[in-house]
Amino acid sequence: MIEEPYRWVEAIANRREYIETQLAPGSPIAALSYRDGILFVTVGRARQKLFEIYDRIAMGAIGHPGDIERLRMVAIELASTEGFTRSAADVSLRRLAFYSLSPVLKTAFEQVYGAPYLARMTFAEVGATPAEDLFLRVEYDGSITANGPATDAQPPRFSAVGGTTRGTELMETLLRREHDPGCTLNRAMKVALDAWSAGSMPVTEGSGNEIPSAEALRQHRTEELQSATVEACVLERSSPNAIRYRQLAGEELKELTAA
Amino acid sequence: MTSDSLGGGASDFPTLLRRHGLLNEAVLFPPGVSGSTASSFTPTQATTILAFKFTGGVLVAGDRRATAGNTVVYDRADKVLEIDRHSIMAIAGVPATAWEMARVLEHSLQYFGRTQLQEMSVDGKVRALSKLLRDNFGFVVQGIGVVVPIFATYDFAGGGQARLYFYDAMGAQFEVTEYAATGSGSPAVRGVMFYQNKWGKTPLHKLREEDAVTIALRALDTAAEADTATGGVDRNARIFPLIKIISRDGIKTLPEKQIAARFKSTVA
Repeated sequence: MIEEPYRWVEAIANRREYIETQLAPGSPIAALSYRDGILFVTVGRARQKLFEIYDRIAMGAIGHPGDIERLRMVAIELASTEGFTRSAADVSLRRLAFYSLSPVLKTAFEQVYGAPYLARMTFAEVGATPAEDLFLRVEYDGSITANGPATDAQPPRFSAVGGTTRGTELMETLLRREHDPGCTLNRAMKVALDAWSAGSMPVTEGSGNEIPSAEALRQHRTEELQSATVEACVLERSSPNAIRYRQLAGEELKELTAA
Repeated sequence: MTSDSLGGGASDFPTLLRRHGLLNEAVLFPPGVSGSTASSFTPTQATTILAFKFTGGVLVAGDRRATAGNTVVYDRADKVLEIDRHSIMAIAGVPATAWEMARVLEHSLQYFGRTQLQEMSVDGKVRALSKLLRDNFGFVVQGIGVVVPIFATYDFAGGGQARLYFYDAMGAQFEVTEYAATGSGSPAVRGVMFYQNKWGKTPLHKLREEDAVTIALRALDTAAEADTATGGVDRNARIFPLIKIISRDGIKTLPEKQIAARFKSTVA
């Protein structure tokens, strides 16, 4: 153990800086409500970044694949055990994130002799209406950002994770301006891809915190998509099946991402 | 809960449940040791189930009766259980054990799919049920928890085909090409199936859907004729067997109205 408190604070600060550097190049993820469910979108090259956790819960993560995998397993284990012993209705994202994942992440982050989790995640749980959708962004240190307090009359119906804080903030600004939770899947996909583009554009001289023009976003995306592909999944709001998670692929994805 | 708990066995849901003490093997009492309640306790039983392949895939049907000894416990039992989008487990035997088994199986397949990011193979699913039956062996020898299921599924491998299995109480699985029936009324059902295949106008695998439904209803009615534990069709209360069909497109549950109409025109 480090004896001096100052050293500990310093070690934590160094660790935070190290993790942020590791996460910075991560491809952003946007999750947002639309009329018939929740859409997750990212752009990737090799590995899957969007995952099913339980019937109504999905997750997207950037970071080290090994750490993401461990956290994903923890989440699935907890949700499955709860769903089996009680019922699927008793599986709650709020409890999963706040009372199970957060303490684990915090402990790993603050034990400076051990390795922290290199992961930044966004979780969403689909509700009966867009107003009941829950979005949580869970950080490597265990802190959680929910989509607005429970008392907020019109909390945002989206969650964005970027590699950098600036990227995340740009995405949130864009989503706050463009996103309507009652929109169609087509429209949601368009907004999500714009948000991804805003979050992944490199910082240039004088770009500040302004959202780039629609034209610039589209051009950036076209360039990126030469060597990468769109990955997307949905949590369907109403379905005869208990399992609401569905990966978007093939023709459907092609049509949604065209234009 | 730490990351250390995520060993190589994490892909097996029953193992996970056992680690949390949520799933136990049936206790096997040594012979002569008191504790076996078999002599004084009559468990609830469910019978009869059948399944056969026809042109539209595989049809699985079950009567609705659950009994304990000579007592009819329940007349609307559901013995044809959906495990995933293309698999059905039908149960004959003790519902308490069977429903729990079906629940473990259903969650196991989901858990595997979520953690491994691919669907479990048909062989894997068949084996998973076999293991659950083997774990139940302690109850079987005490005569209180016998379950004899049928498992039907659609296999997308190799061009796609319906697959059908039945099990014995110890967990041995037998794949069948045409039909399977278990439960107390199964000898009668097998008789009807055999007759249809050998001397009927159309063998089972060439039946169209409505004729397949007719055969299933007639077989269960035949079983109920001599076996009090089989509900067959309750003409007064209008309780009909449960019929589900598995095809490439998934599982279809036949509406009761459709079964009632078919029963009226070709069975009653």
